[in-house]
Amino acid sequence: MHRFPRLSARQAHLTAGLSMACLAALACKGTETATSAGPADIGGTLVITTPADLGTLLPPLIERITDRQATDLLYDRLADIGDNLNSIGDKGFKPQLAERWEWAPDSLSIAFHLNPHAKWHDGIPVRASDVRYSVNLIKDPALASPAASLITNIDSVAVRDSLTAVVFFKRHTPEQFYDLVYQVAILPEHVLGNTPAAKLKESEVGRRGIGSGRFRLAKWEPGSKIELIADTANYRGRAKLDRVIFSIAPDFNGAVTRFFAGDADLFENIRPEHLSRFTGDTTRRTQRYPTLQYTDFLMNMKDPKAPGMPHPVFGERAVRRALAMATDRRAMLKNAFDTVGQPLYGPFPHMSPVADTTLPQIAYDTTKAKALLDSAGWTPGPDGTRVKNGHRLEFAISVPNSSAARKQYATLLQDAFRRVGAAATVDLSDYPTYMSKLTTHTFDAQLGNYAPDPGVSNFKQTWSTSSTGKDGSNYGSYSNALVDALLDSATATFDPARTKAYARRAFETIIEDAPAIWLYEPPTVMGISKRVHTTFLRADGYWSGIADWWIPAGERSARDKIGLRPTP
Amino acid sequence: MRRYLVARLLQSLGVVVFVTTFAFIMVHLAPGDPFDAALSRPNIPESVREQWRVSYGLDRPLSEQYARWLGNTAHGDLGYSFSHRRPVRDVFGDAIPNTLLLSGIGLVLSFAIGIGVGLLQAERPRSARDRWLGRVLLVLYSVPDFWLALVILILFAYRIPLFPAGGMKDPVLYDYLSPGGRLLDRLRHIVLPVATLALLTAAGVARYQRNSLMTVLPSDWMRTALAKGLSWKAAVRRHAFRNALLPTITLFGLSVPAFATGAIFVEKVFSWPGMGLVVVDAIAARDYPLVTSGVMVMSVLVAACALVADLAVAAADPRVRLG
Repeated sequence: MHRFPRLSARQAHLTAGLSMACLAALACKGTETATSAGPADIGGTLVITTPADLGTLLPPLIERITDRQATDLLYDRLADIGDNLNSIGDKGFKPQLAERWEWAPDSLSIAFHLNPHAKWHDGIPVRASDVRYSVNLIKDPALASPAASLITNIDSVAVRDSLTAVVFFKRHTPEQFYDLVYQVAILPEHVLGNTPAAKLKESEVGRRGIGSGRFRLAKWEPGSKIELIADTANYRGRAKLDRVIFSIAPDFNGAVTRFFAGDADLFENIRPEHLSRFTGDTTRRTQRYPTLQYTDFLMNMKDPKAPGMPHPVFGERAVRRALAMATDRRAMLKNAFDTVGQPLYGPFPHMSPVADTTLPQIAYDTTKAKALLDSAGWTPGPDGTRVKNGHRLEFAISVPNSSAARKQYATLLQDAFRRVGAAATVDLSDYPTYMSKLTTHTFDAQLGNYAPDPGVSNFKQTWSTSSTGKDGSNYGSYSNALVDALLDSATATFDPARTKAYARRAFETIIEDAPAIWLYEPPTVMGISKRVHTTFLRADGYWSGIADWWIPAGERSARDKIGLRPTP
Repeated sequence: MRRYLVARLLQSLGVVVFVTTFAFIMVHLAPGDPFDAALSRPNIPESVREQWRVSYGLDRPLSEQYARWLGNTAHGDLGYSFSHRRPVRDVFGDAIPNTLLLSGIGLVLSFAIGIGVGLLQAERPRSARDRWLGRVLLVLYSVPDFWLALVILILFAYRIPLFPAGGMKDPVLYDYLSPGGRLLDRLRHIVLPVATLALLTAAGVARYQRNSLMTVLPSDWMRTALAKGLSWKAAVRRHAFRNALLPTITLFGLSVPAFATGAIFVEKVFSWPGMGLVVVDAIAARDYPLVTSGVMVMSVLVAACALVADLAVAAADPRVRLG
């Protein structure tokens, strides 16, 4: 599982308040039923206020969500994942640059037939050699692409003819198709190919953003805005909007004001305290959007002070389970998010294709928690904190100071643990320090916010024993042979139903082992202008369908009416 | 004079080297590194991060990194910004003009207002005007800058929508405006951040100016001016004011670098992509080259402005002798 905490400026800042109650109502009320746009509805400008500038426009090097938002609109893939995010086989995938594909009888290669009308934004046709270049570039060690480890199963790409690329795989796996099409955006060889891979990161060509998507880059003013305009001759059809502008507003309050002042059409992180402003607002509405984010209280199985040794507190299953029992997750959710909090049922967001919200949970029961600790030999000391063999039941909870929600949860957990005799301190640090502790495993426990990719294999990266090393994302060093086997099976079967069944058993075992306490999925509500009509919002990125969003001709403002005139 | 200048320049150089070295060491000692901090994807394998560290020489000993940075800087190469993915020189090339525009107007306006208000107060000391202005100034002087910036933003961009809510220009329409329209658009966008800066600084300047005037008012030459038949107002404006300006000149000189290096909160709240914002974000991202070069630029400005301020005072006041 790809676990990456969200950008600090986007982190869940939702706090408790009376206005929370109306969030659900408003969010639901604001959700529109999309109809379709007519020919007259082509045009308009969407201004999205975003907290940070882009780092890169080269998909193999993206590090931030803002990078992904822009590159997803600029570059096409061979095929696009379906709305249900299925990653097994090719079911549900929609053609993009490849208008069709054929599996070899042994399933070790797939021939992709490119759409002959597909062109780069500079007018050059997209060719099979571009597919080969894109895969080879990611695999090139000189580029050091973060995506390289995700496509290790791709062996090579052969160019059968200018419009047919044959991708060879090392092994036939359920997610081989997903690995290729989801992780590899197709890049223009004629633009990038003359620059050595090692130089691309710093090269100017990496900032040109020449792709084949339905939007093309019009302007990138560092620190101010990124402007994309409709590619009018696009092989998949012109985007309905004329332009999308990511307007950078680094301060949260400044960004909110910009939205409510009408200078932006979309702000993706509406807080409860702003909801009253939507009441009676004739120009703006709220809309909930699905995501794959979730937050848990992750316990480190290994002692950060003695590498290789079990953690003196969390190394013991009984302690972890007792702490889980001591946590009233529903009350905390209500406290932090009132009625709009989404509970977490295990190491998966509920939008994951393998999510199962019916899994048995460790029930809140402080009496049982105390009894469990007693039976495990942790007896109350003079100050109420339990002690065993000279070790106090105490630990630090690592929290980034940029996240209001997680800070609030840390305090709530601290209080809950204190009631059963565990002394927790809150270790607040800035984001780089927090991240450093996470990646070097030098923490006791941490409140992490994750946004995994939809692929099932991601769970192996987070929970399997093989991912406890320096290249893995199993930061808590959780290890269970049964879970390893079940996740192996889940990622080896080609039957989605069996994948889900294996994953369910793995999740059930993980929940029983309690390497983490499953806390919440951050409520995600955007504020959006009522004149903007959206389509289906996909959980791995609400922006994926922006090219089909539209603004009816009769509802346009001055900035919608400038059309695609060239800049004077 | 020449000896004084050479000594001051050497002294300034020492300060710049010391401050920059200190910043270099501190930012490198802080937990995390650019490839921990700047990433929102910790799933990036550690081996890839290691490769990035090696490619930028971050695996080398600190002394070696410092020597290389110093050598490159001496040759005019400020390095490569990890967070902006651009040469530091280019990042500064974008940010410094934005900051100079905002801060230049803000600085001149704040001193003009501050000196004017200070003069108004000192003309009639302990009057109702003096007392009320003093109270208003005290309030302005006391409020946190980010709070005032937010209040002004919400008040004049949302509640009473007279001005745009941040940015340097309209993100959509600016390119399609006439030259006059563009100028107007720029002015509309700069009003609120400049007003915030001016209010914040003018309060301090006014108090400084008033106190400075109150110090010189009992002087013998003021009594002489009044005895010669000048009115109180004329004596204050013609004689006391000029004498009381000397400390304000020094204050102006010292304020220039603070303004020129960016008003962080004002830039952040009003989405003004200037130096303050760039450097603060660079610290959070552990962008070593950007932080160190930013500190260097700031320390050069402080040293240069302090020197210019001293020279200006010497030029304005014949009693001051340099050297």
